[in-house]
Amino acid sequence: MSPDILDETSEVWFGPQHVSAHGWATKLTIVGDYVVECDPNAGYFHRSAEKCLEFRTFRQGSLILERICMVEAFISEYPYIAAVEKIAGLEVPEKAKIMRTIMMEASRIHSIQFWLGQLSGELGLFTMMLWPWVDREYFLDAFEELTGSRHTVSYNTPGGVRYDFTPEFLDKLDKAIVRLEDRIPIFEDMLQGSPTFRLRTKGVGQYSAKNGIKWGLSGPNIKACGVPMDLRKDDPDPNLAYGMIDWEVPITENKEHPGECDIYDRVVQRFKEIAVSVDIIRKLLPLVPEDGPIVDPKARAKANRLPAGEAYGRVEGTRGVTAVWLKTTEKAQTPYRAKIRGPCFNSYYSLKHIMPGLRFADFVVTFGSLDPYVGWWDR
Amino acid sequence: MSEMSASTLARNIINKIPEVESVPLEVNKVELRVPASKIRDVVTMIDEMVPDVLPEMVFGVDLQDDKYELIYIFWSYRARALWQLRVSLEGKEPEIETVCDIFPGLEWHERETHEMFGINFLNHPDLRLLLLPDELEGKYPLRKSFVTDKGRLAESGLPQPKPRPARGESK
Amino acid sequence: MHKVQQFDFFQWLAGIPDWILGIILWFWGLIKWVLLWIWGVFEWIWGLIVIPENFMFLIRSLLYPGLVFILFTLIFAVWFTRKLWARIHDRRGPTHLGKYGGLQLFADAIKLLAKETIIPVNARRWMYRILPSVLLIAVLLPFMFIPWDPYWNIVGAPGFPDLSVSLVLIFAFLTAVPVFSLLIGWTSGSKYALIGGFRAANNQFASEIPMVISSVGPAMLAGSLSLFAITQAQSAIWYVFLLPVNFVTFLIAAIASVGTFPFDAPVADSEIIFGWRTELSGVYFTMTYFAEFAEQILYSALMVALFFGGFHGLPFLPGFANFIIKFLVVFFMFIVVTSSFYRLRQDQIVRLCWKYLLPLSILNVILVMLGLAYFSDWLVPLVTGGA
Repeated sequence: MSPDILDETSEVWFGPQHVSAHGWATKLTIVGDYVVECDPNAGYFHRSAEKCLEFRTFRQGSLILERICMVEAFISEYPYIAAVEKIAGLEVPEKAKIMRTIMMEASRIHSIQFWLGQLSGELGLFTMMLWPWVDREYFLDAFEELTGSRHTVSYNTPGGVRYDFTPEFLDKLDKAIVRLEDRIPIFEDMLQGSPTFRLRTKGVGQYSAKNGIKWGLSGPNIKACGVPMDLRKDDPDPNLAYGMIDWEVPITENKEHPGECDIYDRVVQRFKEIAVSVDIIRKLLPLVPEDGPIVDPKARAKANRLPAGEAYGRVEGTRGVTAVWLKTTEKAQTPYRAKIRGPCFNSYYSLKHIMPGLRFADFVVTFGSLDPYVGWWDR
Repeated sequence: MSEMSASTLARNIINKIPEVESVPLEVNKVELRVPASKIRDVVTMIDEMVPDVLPEMVFGVDLQDDKYELIYIFWSYRARALWQLRVSLEGKEPEIETVCDIFPGLEWHERETHEMFGINFLNHPDLRLLLLPDELEGKYPLRKSFVTDKGRLAESGLPQPKPRPARGESK
Repeated sequence: MHKVQQFDFFQWLAGIPDWILGIILWFWGLIKWVLLWIWGVFEWIWGLIVIPENFMFLIRSLLYPGLVFILFTLIFAVWFTRKLWARIHDRRGPTHLGKYGGLQLFADAIKLLAKETIIPVNARRWMYRILPSVLLIAVLLPFMFIPWDPYWNIVGAPGFPDLSVSLVLIFAFLTAVPVFSLLIGWTSGSKYALIGGFRAANNQFASEIPMVISSVGPAMLAGSLSLFAITQAQSAIWYVFLLPVNFVTFLIAAIASVGTFPFDAPVADSEIIFGWRTELSGVYFTMTYFAEFAEQILYSALMVALFFGGFHGLPFLPGFANFIIKFLVVFFMFIVVTSSFYRLRQDQIVRLCWKYLLPLSILNVILVMLGLAYFSDWLVPLVTGGA
């Protein structure tokens, strides 16, 4: 071992065969324990979803979208459907708007629980990995009751939704939320109250909101810096029910570094997001009308062949701005071009700027705190 | 700036760079048709005039006959306004200047557009393949002329698809 | 022309069988000498064994509380750990094989031993093969000195008195263990294993010193460095009541020294795949896996012997049962502590051990010294007790 070992760089592939690399590989150049350069590599999970969308009809397309990110399935399939509804000029009934919003918030809660378990597992505490995942099971039971499937739900459809709320489903959803509300204080205590957690996450992986937005980050990664950037309030979708109730955008402020956020703030931010989602669900559930159509009656006819046009459907996903840009040609059954914008595309890219200067052991935690999901950048 | 709306910025840009045309889309969305040579000026103006604008994406559209369109989308949460820039390009491997030094978030979007459509971004720091495997380099899969190779479909054991009827421009 | 002595060819030919026979007889003599010598060695060994104390020593060291007993304790400890971790995680643990999953460990051991051993191209082959076994031996040897019972130990029994410095010898063995971890990581030929090996060496650098200093307190109170003597001296009062902080620093330093959660940066499986154990497979992995649990058992037993009075306790139970009960309690605490904290980064481990544990343990030693110097009239009879 030469005496210059502390000055020599060595390249470590945090590669596709790694316990924490769920389908991606990053080349880290390290000197001693510090990362000097970070070169994220993508493409291990590329399934050419955009090309596939050009060969699927408009009602089939959302099924590809939901399989891109199954963890937040209700949210993933929505941007495509929003774009189709804009081009086709479909009218979504009120009941469907409220049901869609409730399920999207439930999906957001589920996704954040998944993320919480994964982050704790990457930090080495398997106890806190499994506890949120137990609660996730209750949400998945509710999803299964409603749609028949736990992850690939196919709930949204152009013009409305496909399944109606049944009393059993409302019962299961209620059970899931009540249990969640009991357990969230325990999780917060285990995370924020744990001295080892604070040691690992405070001051690590810090960036400012200005830089984050330049890199294309959005969603909780920016709200944790104290910037209230939330598409649900900034660009309210007429086909969703966020405008029907009062709710506040959750933000987290860092006292020592205003305008910046570290891993700790991002964790706190996501707990606040869960609280806001529970609040929205609780406020929307009484507003669901008893009877009424759940889908536009003309949807089948109109969504078969769309007129020529372009539309941009966006939604505030769990990780940021999730969008689909759609272009159709006259009387075609399939889109001409469908471009999917995944929020994690830019999260993964921003590692190139965040990682230099951090230690090797911080890599997994930093990346995990940005909530990566390989489906969104590889599609 | 909360007074800046989508159309205000569009007017400001057109005042500076008269080659740009603006087309209103929805109430808070404006499309700007930008010639390829002016893209850097327009993007720099957006960066200067609107603080904290999110570069959402850059992507290409293949209108056949060697014509391409590049679409840039910028969203400002403060102004609640969205700007969609449309650039028309022509040629077998069209070229345009990169904007990823102004907005680093577009670096990977440009890289992906390059490998999928063959649009060359001048002065881009890193135009390696992002998502595609090495054998598809130079094949530009998202072009309409790229037909997926169904030659080995029989090996998969799946039932063969029925031949599709002719459909018009969707193929 | 003179008469030259003729060499009679046929006479010479007739003499060859005798010559060959002579050579064979010479070789036979040699072989007989070697065989007799080997037989003499066996006779000497047998002569040693047949002496009662030596024979009992063999029984004790091989069967109980020796090798076989340690293996069964290991299997029990792994089962106990897995079930307890599972209950903490809100799940059940192994339930299929045997009642309450008791036979799961046998199935796991058989499966692990039957797996193919893959040796990476860049690894040094013979070091790679020998080192895991040496690691296991270095971890199993200190079990010789653990005083399970007043009479029925491996050493520390009548006829085989304990070494006067057995505590030092135990720490000598345990200090060698992270060196083997570093070597395994280094010779594995993989960057992740190398990083893990360096982190293991760093762990040792951080944790061994507070651990050794923490054990000086009980040794000073008992007045001896022999583990058996320290345990014997706790007949009046257990040292944990006199030195609670010492126990806590020893516990934390022991967890860091083993390299288990939350100090498992050397084998952090979300950062460096499996650290220095990454490239081990098959029988080598089994040995390091069991070596980790053997180390945990060893530290728990050491804590019981140093702080909790070893075999003293309820008078109607045999000493051994006392030890086992206390051992289970300490092991339980070990497992609960290890599954409640997030993993610390390597530099944070070093900072914790050097900034907090080391001053505390030195403080403890100073307190014991002051206590013995100024309160020796009532303290010394209390802590040395009776034999």
